[in-house]
Amino acid sequence: MKKQLMVVAFVASLALVATACGGGGGGTTGPTGGTGATGGIPTGGILREETTDFGFTNAFDPTGEYLGAAWAYYGNFLLRGLVSYPWLPGEKGGNQPVPDLATDLGQVSADGLTITFTLKDGVMWQPPLNRPVTSQDVAFAFQRINTKSLIAQYGNYYCGTIVGMDCEGKSQEDPIEGIETPDEKTIIFHLERPTGDILYRLAQPAAAPVPPEVAGCFDKAGEYGRYVMSNGPYMLLGSDELDISSCDTLEPIKGFDPDKFMYVVRNPNYDQATDDNRQNYIDGWSLVINTNLDDIYNRVLNGDIDIAHGAPPAAILQQYLTNPDLQDNLKTNSGDRTWYITMNLIVPPFDDVHVRKAANYIVDKAAMLQATGGPVTGDIATTIEPPTVLPDLADYDPYATPNHAGDVEAAKAEMAQSKYDKNGDGVCDDPVCDNVLMINRNYDPWTEYTPILTENFKQIGINLKVRELDVSTAYTTIQTMSNLIPIAANAGWGKDYASPYGFDFFLFNTAGLSCEGAVNYSNIGLDEALAKECGPKVYEAWKAATDNGKNPLPNVDQDMEECVAKPFGPEYNACWAALDRKLMEEIVPWVPYRWGSQNTVLADSVVAWEYDQSAGWTAYSRTAVNNGLTMDEVAQI
Amino acid sequence: MGQVTDEEVAEPGRTLGGAEPGSTIIGRTPWQIFWMRFRKDRVALAAGAFLILLAAAAVAAPLIARGLVHHDPNALFRDTLNEYGLPVVGPSREFWFGVDTSGRDVFVRTIYGARTSLVVALLSTGFAVGLGILLGSLAGYLGGWVDTVISRAIDLTLSLPVLLFSIGIAATCSITAEGCLGGLVQPGISLVTAIIALFTWPYIGRIVRGQVLTIRNKEFIEAARAMGAGTGRILLRDVLPNLAAPVIVYGTLIIPSNILFEAALSFLGVGIPPTTPSWGRMISDAARGQLYTVAWWMLFFPGMALVFTTLAFNLVGDGLRDALDPRTQVTG
Repeated sequence: MKKQLMVVAFVASLALVATACGGGGGGTTGPTGGTGATGGIPTGGILREETTDFGFTNAFDPTGEYLGAAWAYYGNFLLRGLVSYPWLPGEKGGNQPVPDLATDLGQVSADGLTITFTLKDGVMWQPPLNRPVTSQDVAFAFQRINTKSLIAQYGNYYCGTIVGMDCEGKSQEDPIEGIETPDEKTIIFHLERPTGDILYRLAQPAAAPVPPEVAGCFDKAGEYGRYVMSNGPYMLLGSDELDISSCDTLEPIKGFDPDKFMYVVRNPNYDQATDDNRQNYIDGWSLVINTNLDDIYNRVLNGDIDIAHGAPPAAILQQYLTNPDLQDNLKTNSGDRTWYITMNLIVPPFDDVHVRKAANYIVDKAAMLQATGGPVTGDIATTIEPPTVLPDLADYDPYATPNHAGDVEAAKAEMAQSKYDKNGDGVCDDPVCDNVLMINRNYDPWTEYTPILTENFKQIGINLKVRELDVSTAYTTIQTMSNLIPIAANAGWGKDYASPYGFDFFLFNTAGLSCEGAVNYSNIGLDEALAKECGPKVYEAWKAATDNGKNPLPNVDQDMEECVAKPFGPEYNACWAALDRKLMEEIVPWVPYRWGSQNTVLADSVVAWEYDQSAGWTAYSRTAVNNGLTMDEVAQI
Repeated sequence: MGQVTDEEVAEPGRTLGGAEPGSTIIGRTPWQIFWMRFRKDRVALAAGAFLILLAAAAVAAPLIARGLVHHDPNALFRDTLNEYGLPVVGPSREFWFGVDTSGRDVFVRTIYGARTSLVVALLSTGFAVGLGILLGSLAGYLGGWVDTVISRAIDLTLSLPVLLFSIGIAATCSITAEGCLGGLVQPGISLVTAIIALFTWPYIGRIVRGQVLTIRNKEFIEAARAMGAGTGRILLRDVLPNLAAPVIVYGTLIIPSNILFEAALSFLGVGIPPTTPSWGRMISDAARGQLYTVAWWMLFFPGMALVFTTLAFNLVGDGLRDALDPRTQVTG
């Protein structure tokens, strides 16, 4: 980006002039005040972003919101938790929790069961609250997580871990037994067992403080999303106009329309001196819905907007990769996520482990990566956890094939050992291999996978019948156990936080099993009781797959129990690495094919940009623009 | 078909097509007359020839693909793609119409796509015509409550949001291994055919009903009734033959719209299984993500195939109407 260098030089010279005229008044304007410069990076301007869909899973209520991008919005703009992240890429420590609202990373007792935090002075709630953030506000966030009707979508990180939390609470007013607030600045958590990755869990947006005087008015999932109050550097446009005199006078914040836009502006009560991690160069941020994906990327190219997340369509992507003027405007970072094909342990032919192993050999992962857009879209996955989450397995590839392009001979050798290849020629000769239903997404690049996988599996005698569905229908379809979907290519999984527990737990634990909404799509550990509950079709399939219960399905719950209790560090990682090996070699629920990267496209107006590894998204608080716009010019309300 | 001849010839003062001025009047069957008129329509004949060629290519698609081009429609020639997965081989000696983003031969898929288009369009039109004739003639001939029920059914069907409805059915039937209605309805060519037939029969039905309404009061019907013929016999032997001309004309004109219907459904990704070559799907593949800017051939060839096939059916349909309907003046 040639432009960036020029702009920085220009601003720096301005600063020199200002210093000269002002007689040594400091030279730089503080980041909260208008246009100026901080370390050569200009402040001011509005970062303009567009997206096809907000994609919120809980209407932006932090208690339940499970969308990675939303975590970036909360963390960079609105919510300061006890601990949070430095808003940096992984190699600069972006996955390591740092103190934010708290003065340090907490005092842990010798038995590992108590952890105490002290809050910083000077952290205030935005107008109209205008009061300091207290430990009771933090405790209130946990009371909300514990309230059943608010549906904390990752409540499992706290319930069962913090004493007195079961996520079944009736009211958000009920205090949690294991959380003490002896004074306004101190909070003490009592844990059920030592929990190595507790800091990660506390860094999640749901654990950030919530003001009871506003949030207490909303006891249904998602409602508070229209009223989110900030203790961070920015706030939702118009949120300072809320009438908080009673619950009845609250009106939805005008700067957030779930169908159209979200605007944030600076929070006047924020004190930069209390914050070591956010730089806050921009004066505001706008996120506007534009349903035409191609148009979004054209607008970035034209400079009509400043930023768009995700890889552009193939033809535009090629321009960014080949045009020297554009190359610096495409940012590619590790997304800490795995894209995989999931196979169902109770549906033929995948109820035979040899067929699942054959699938791991036959899939041409190199072709799938190429079809996705090439190396810029990620790396070929060889195991479940990306090495950025679990470095122990960086070189692990139990189903290595030449150039990752699949190995027909190795696949046939596995197929020959299965019960569905009676003549042992390595090609399935059982009728169950005809018309095997595979669920896929109905858009690029998934539609590109359909011909590849169809041809791949044909070589071992499995004829796939592919159904391409929109993304949410595809997920609902495989999440409904009674659909008995044999194989699906629509699924991907990203970390919640950078520990293997935050990645693996639900995917393979029986806690991830349910008749509807299951995420343990392979049905690992499915037992008779649940199979029965999910209907006769599931029960019949379960009986057939387990020989009427004589050969129960593999179960990794116990393995996970043991790993969770390990002290955080090498031992912890080694335990999870062993579990991943067991999953890949003995249970084989997946064909992992790509560790996805996160691509971000910038206009020339973006003069500083950083990647936040924790949310896998732009670190807005470290991003700067030189467009000189104000929110009045941008916001269309 | 005696009645048709008697009927038309008996009317005085009408010049039947094909009779050259000054020539001796000789007795001709209606089909001879039709052929004499039709073969003068060069445009329609050319369109007909194109369709015959297309049909031949569609029937012989496997032979052409394996024997002539040596490419299977689903074979992936991934070395024709660059590292970003974009096709770099356009129309060439090896790939006549270039390759798509999966490295598949666009020419082979285009002729296989003709199969899909023709099979779906002809089958669905066939069903629509059959259903239209049956219900239309019952409504027209029997009248009364039968007419009311069938006519309202026609109105209802024509007022349904066709595309939304089709997408809904296709999507509903796509989420389980068994399809929907206990496995009765499966997504695929048969479902698409059924949906299209369901939405096009009313056009035929309406026209047939109108025709039957005029025919049923003609003298030869009364004569047949007087001679003791039952309803079934009259419908089959006396009414049906008189419907041939309008049904052939409208049937031919429905085929192209059904081809477009199938293409639209495939474009939207419902109905035809993903790996089955289909023009609509090929066009949607080319349109997404501005792919046509780097691989114009992905859009051009299936698009042209669709345009020319639709045009050809329309021209043949026009020709048939001109030739079959003695009331239209054939010029040229």
